[in-house]
Amino acid sequence: MGEEKSSRPRINLIKAHIDAISAALRRMTKPPMTLMFPDYEEAWPEGYRGFILYDYDTCIGCSLCAQICPARAIKMYRVPGDKRIRPGYNVGRCIFCGLCVDICPVDALSYSYVHDEVYSEVNPMNMDPIDWALWSKRIKEKEKSAKPKLKPVIDEDIGLRYEVTKNVEGEE
Amino acid sequence: MAIKLPGMYGHEVGKQEGYRVVELFIGPQHPASGHMRMILYLDGDIVVKVDPDIGYVHRTVEKLSETREYVRVISLIERMTIIDACNVTLPYVEAVERLLDVEPPPRAKYLRTILCEINRIASHLYGLGLGGIFLNHSTMYMWAFGDREVFLHLANMLTGARLTHTYSVFGGVRRDLPQGFKDEFAKARRYMLKRLKEYDKIFYNNPVIRGRLENVGILKREHAISLGATGPNLRASGVYYDARLTGYAAYPDLDFRPVIGKHGDALERIWVRLREIEVSLDLIERALKELPEGPIMNERFTKGIPPKVRHWFEKGFIKLPGGYVRLKTKAGEVITRAEMGHGEITYYLVSNGDIKPYRLRVVTPSARNVILFTVLPIGHTLMDFPAIYGSLDYFPPEADR
Repeated sequence: MGEEKSSRPRINLIKAHIDAISAALRRMTKPPMTLMFPDYEEAWPEGYRGFILYDYDTCIGCSLCAQICPARAIKMYRVPGDKRIRPGYNVGRCIFCGLCVDICPVDALSYSYVHDEVYSEVNPMNMDPIDWALWSKRIKEKEKSAKPKLKPVIDEDIGLRYEVTKNVEGEE
Repeated sequence: MAIKLPGMYGHEVGKQEGYRVVELFIGPQHPASGHMRMILYLDGDIVVKVDPDIGYVHRTVEKLSETREYVRVISLIERMTIIDACNVTLPYVEAVERLLDVEPPPRAKYLRTILCEINRIASHLYGLGLGGIFLNHSTMYMWAFGDREVFLHLANMLTGARLTHTYSVFGGVRRDLPQGFKDEFAKARRYMLKRLKEYDKIFYNNPVIRGRLENVGILKREHAISLGATGPNLRASGVYYDARLTGYAAYPDLDFRPVIGKHGDALERIWVRLREIEVSLDLIERALKELPEGPIMNERFTKGIPPKVRHWFEKGFIKLPGGYVRLKTKAGEVITRAEMGHGEITYYLVSNGDIKPYRLRVVTPSARNVILFTVLPIGHTLMDFPAIYGSLDYFPPEADR
């Protein structure tokens, strides 16, 4: 293979070179669509699937979340002094599919907008029910006191534009 | 004599017609090899034989799916191609729906089509960007990956996740169209159509790219058919075939026409991908215009939801019933297919009436396209090899699965 030449119409070499360079130059005059990450964070849309938050008091211990979890990130535990079995959460295994939130019959589970946490050890990532409930409260507070957030909006000219949300305006 | 290059290792393997034949190992750590190794046999600078060594990212997806309940398999199989997550799971969901005798509502079918096409655009942009960087065209790489972000943003608005959406589930979809999606998409469409003209200038009609890609790796029509090539690589050789023509999801209602190329060389494969982005944009626009009203989930799964959590339906979310985990299908065999960004994917699902699949066979498009590596570069120079690789849009995790 490879002997036959195609009969594609030839292009004007000089014009094509100038077109290519001018297309790149035109783009250079426009602002970049980069999010300056450590200083600013993206404001995720409503319903963004971040970490799963757990409400201990609403939970009825039906274990459906542990059954549907595709990564086995949620497991059921026995809590001393509690008749019901309760779900525990392994952050390291979670794939953020959100099926557990969809199947929870009492809204004990919910999404958060946070999806990054740093751990220096493996063990704290695997939480039992009480740890998970306490951790959820901490994550909720982290959501509130987060860094300035920028909302991505599609722009006809440059693609994505990061708009300043009220959160940032208030601080500045 | 050993030759050592960054990420490559070569040594002499013998003589052929007076020339020394060199065996050159590219990958699996080479930046342009993907998760695989290429063993090239070179006579001087001419490639005489290629041995693609795949299997570096094999994750036993087929066997693992036999150990999981039907709904848990969805998130597993979308890890074959996370850049194309809706297209890769849709035929599996449809296969299980056929075994369950559940039909998704029309609105769910349209929403699936919309996400599939958003995924296809993102997948093509990913392929074009990598095709660009294989030719050292960093501008195309940066542009395509930047514009892909626009479509990831749209998918994020619709599903709540940028890549692994887990959007289509048995009986419907998990989210309704969010407010403001139509306006955002209209802007994205106008932007992308403008960008495609710039892509033509900087990439497709760029004399440097033409010099690298034109008449390189020609796949003739009859060869494309007999080798079983699929997707844009097949259509670039002039074959009128697209799995979307078989009519799944909402495609029969949308009057879909595939893009067919003529020449079958590397440049034509790039051209087909660029034009398919236009077609996908039109398809989404038409689907949004004709989007029917109604529920997004089959009534069989929504009637048993307790009234306490029914407020989610008003917000455009769904709640799954408790029996959803241990769904029992009837015994039987189903074959489904769909068109992914890389080509046609086929699922063969065998059920023996249990809560888990008895066997799930997956034939992915990249697994079918890998044979092209052994055929197309023969007779070309080593320099043409990355050009051919880039034009094939090969995705190793999908081939190995």
